[in-house]
Amino acid sequence: MNGERAQEDPAASSSGCSESYEFSHAAAKAAVAQVCESVGYEHFKDPALESLAGFALQYILQLGKTAISFANLTGRSQCNVFDIILALEDLTGNDDGDGGVVSSESCSLGRSVKLKGIIDFVNSSEEIPFSQPLPRFPVAISKKKMMMIPSFVEIGETPPGNHIPLWLPAFPDPHTYKETPMWIERASDPRGDKIEQARQRRKAERALLSLQRKLVCKISSGTRVWGDMDGVKEDEGELLRSVSPSISGEKVESLNRDGLSVVEAFAPAMEAARDGFCSEVDTEWKKKKKPDALSKLRTEKKFLGEPLDLSLKMKGEDRPLSFVRDEDRDDKRRRAEFILRQCMENPVDLNQL
Amino acid sequence: MNHGQQSGEAKHEDDAALTEFLASLMDYTPTIPDDLVEHYLAKSGFQCPDVRLIRLVAVATQKFVADVASDALQHCKARPAPVVKDKKQQKEKRLILTMEDLSKALREYGVNVKHPEYFADSPSTGMDPATREE
Repeated sequence: MNGERAQEDPAASSSGCSESYEFSHAAAKAAVAQVCESVGYEHFKDPALESLAGFALQYILQLGKTAISFANLTGRSQCNVFDIILALEDLTGNDDGDGGVVSSESCSLGRSVKLKGIIDFVNSSEEIPFSQPLPRFPVAISKKKMMMIPSFVEIGETPPGNHIPLWLPAFPDPHTYKETPMWIERASDPRGDKIEQARQRRKAERALLSLQRKLVCKISSGTRVWGDMDGVKEDEGELLRSVSPSISGEKVESLNRDGLSVVEAFAPAMEAARDGFCSEVDTEWKKKKKPDALSKLRTEKKFLGEPLDLSLKMKGEDRPLSFVRDEDRDDKRRRAEFILRQCMENPVDLNQL
Repeated sequence: MNHGQQSGEAKHEDDAALTEFLASLMDYTPTIPDDLVEHYLAKSGFQCPDVRLIRLVAVATQKFVADVASDALQHCKARPAPVVKDKKQQKEKRLILTMEDLSKALREYGVNVKHPEYFADSPSTGMDPATREE
């Protein structure tokens, strides 16, 4: 029984400015059309249907307005059933002929003609539910620009100040308007740092050893090349305190200038052994150092190939057990001290270089 | 005193009937959806959490529309049927809701939706309505 129903396309329908108006108007048109259909109509003309829907909406608006005014008259903000009955009577007028006089009794069932009529209508007429499922009104626009700011109560925040009520929208988060200096976090890699340090020490050591090699070649020619211990002793104290790789580089330079000294060569190792600074690296390093030192004393040619092997060993990074390491450390320390004493006893003259 | 008592009793009866009616409203689903009615009532300032009152307003509006529509239907049926040209085919009166019927029906409710006449239809168009009626 669907006749020439008007197109319920919201875009084409009315000249409403807001989107919610178009949607509600279209829904009202559909409802009114259904009511007319129940009355007996088969077809509708679009202007007629639109105007009837408009009248129905105006009826609702007027009813609501009148009802709330009646409620306000008695000092209430919310309406009750009697307000609506009074509004109904006020809107359509009493058939008694009083001419719009609304008495206190007219809100009761006995007196209210309109209400009686409504009751009869409900009892007699067929129930026609709305044909389309209607979404929740009004439709919340989920666009970002229309997003509702939640109130303090909704967030669960206490407003900063007693004068601000809880139902007001909450303040934006401080990070949106405050700029604090950023701490640029550099990932600290202690193991990586130690490895880097050891690598640089090895570099310095390699340079040192190559220099020693050259000196040894010169020694093999017969002259004593070890530097003047007395002259170097003053520097020794300063050098022993510093352990960093950059300074070890400087040490190499100073050695080049002042002459080679076994004490200076061993200074980093001694310092590290004293501080207990770097466990694995130092033990490996001392392992390296010890054979070098011994070979120097035994034969001058032996330590030529060793730095390379030791560097490879470092890359492998064997990790000895801790108790073995401790024993080794003590052993090496003793040996290093022994060698040092021996060197001290035999002063080396580097001025002959 | 008797009169007062009687009116008191009547009131109680009325109240009982009213509550019964409101309860029955919950069973009856009006054609105009609750959400729509609530939206428009909110526009006019009417605020009530009770669904029964919303339904009461919806039912009242439905009754109003039904009354107007039935009046318009009477007007439509009362109009003389169109001339049947073809004897074989008897055209049934198509019940169409038109502006004319609607304006006639709404006149009784005090609403004037009369369509303005076309300027060229009659010589009296655009003249003063009082003189036109004469």
